[in-house]
Amino acid sequence: MDARNFTFMFYGFLAAWLIVLLYVVSLARRSARLRKELEDVKQLVATAPENRV
Amino acid sequence: MNFFVQSFAVARKDLAIELRTKESLNAAGSFAIVILLLFSFAFDVDEIKDFSGGLLWLVFAFAGALVFNRGFARELPNECLDTLLASPLSAAALVIGKAIANFAMLLVVELVSLLVFGIFYSVDWLDLSGSLGIVFALATWGVAILGAVFGALTVNLRLRELMLPVIIYPLMVPLLIGAIELTTAVLQRQPISGHLEWIRVLTASDIVFTALAWGLADTILVN
Amino acid sequence: MREKLVVALAAVAALLLAYNLYHIFLVLPDEASQGFIYRIIFFHVPAGIVGMIGFFVALTFSVLYLSGGDFRYDSLAASIVEVSVMFSVVNLVTGSIWARVIWGVWWTWDYRLTSQLVCVLIFAGYLMMRRAIDEPTQRARLSAALTIFGCVDVVIVWKSIEWFRNNHPGPVLDFRTGGGKMDPAMTHSLMLNFVGLLLVATALALVRTRQESAAREIDSLRRAAHV
Repeated sequence: MDARNFTFMFYGFLAAWLIVLLYVVSLARRSARLRKELEDVKQLVATAPENRV
Repeated sequence: MNFFVQSFAVARKDLAIELRTKESLNAAGSFAIVILLLFSFAFDVDEIKDFSGGLLWLVFAFAGALVFNRGFARELPNECLDTLLASPLSAAALVIGKAIANFAMLLVVELVSLLVFGIFYSVDWLDLSGSLGIVFALATWGVAILGAVFGALTVNLRLRELMLPVIIYPLMVPLLIGAIELTTAVLQRQPISGHLEWIRVLTASDIVFTALAWGLADTILVN
Repeated sequence: MREKLVVALAAVAALLLAYNLYHIFLVLPDEASQGFIYRIIFFHVPAGIVGMIGFFVALTFSVLYLSGGDFRYDSLAASIVEVSVMFSVVNLVTGSIWARVIWGVWWTWDYRLTSQLVCVLIFAGYLMMRRAIDEPTQRARLSAALTIFGCVDVVIVWKSIEWFRNNHPGPVLDFRTGGGKMDPAMTHSLMLNFVGLLLVATALALVRTRQESAAREIDSLRRAAHV
């Protein structure tokens, strides 16, 4: 019982931290994507002024 | 124009359209009957009385989604919704009016379902009409007002038919629990006075949801 | 300035949680009837509370958005809801694992787990709805309306499911030790973990808010360039 208890408790902690970690990783990836998108759009705006009214 | 006059005008319009076309009623009614048929394969017919409330209210919830989806969607062609919002009609009156129409249509679907249910599963409910009427009225109003509010909210969304049930069913949980408990109790011929806390839950939910709908209608329906 | 704040919050949280982990595993004794597994409470309960607090903080920001129209409130509300859903999922998963050991099943319709599940579904619907709306003002308005409806409904959901469970008794996830009160040493660890997770939640929400602002900036640049 004790060994099984310990295994499941380990899984419990692992699950909790894994979920948080996965979320942090998704945040980091979203940040990178947004940064790139912002650079691209800024460049687009700078190089194509005739598009603006 | 008075708020209630406006609401009833909207409800009367929707019900008139529905009486002419019968598209929501036919779809929801047929869907309810099919689900009742499928349940007969899923469950032992003799034990149905133990969970008759659950069975019925799942049917109503699923059929209701079909009714609510049409509620505001029918105003999209020819920019009818924009016209309604630009008119002197208040947004709250529009939402409450749609809710009244939903309520009436859902009650018809429920009556048909109850008739079919009584026949399919040999359940005698005609003498319990009074108690059932109270339960159905309270629960159906709550469901109808949620359907109207979130029908308005999702009308312009992508995947409207999917988003509406996804959003609305978790919100409906208190109403469904109360309705299921009370309906099962009534069909098992228990006195409704023994389950007053659920009547209170349904009444409180109805009041709260109606107040929220009235207060948030302008936010949801701004043009 | 904001990056420094996020890093500071994360650092303090990390230190707190690390110290607490040591304390939970090496200092506190096993619980009388549950043994080792009870230690999961130190993440299960604080995660649930952080999630719940988050939803109501998001409610406040939603109301502020509706009164002022400042998009920053909308960003804050959306970010906090996202982080709160994440912590509520942690609460559900750890509760499920705990139930597996104590009750032998992966899920019980215990009223707290059930209510938490309904909560997660309501706000998962919120996140799905936000993705389905491109126009920022409409998105902010409808999100605020759904948050208000959702938070009010959460209160009714909790109470009604609790009463439902009274009528149909089932297993109750109970972390009370001994005669019903928690040992003060355990309560102390629980509070520290709660503070630690709250700091983590705040840091994550701030990062997410910054991302929402960046997305809005991109959107407005695109509109200005007619792209």
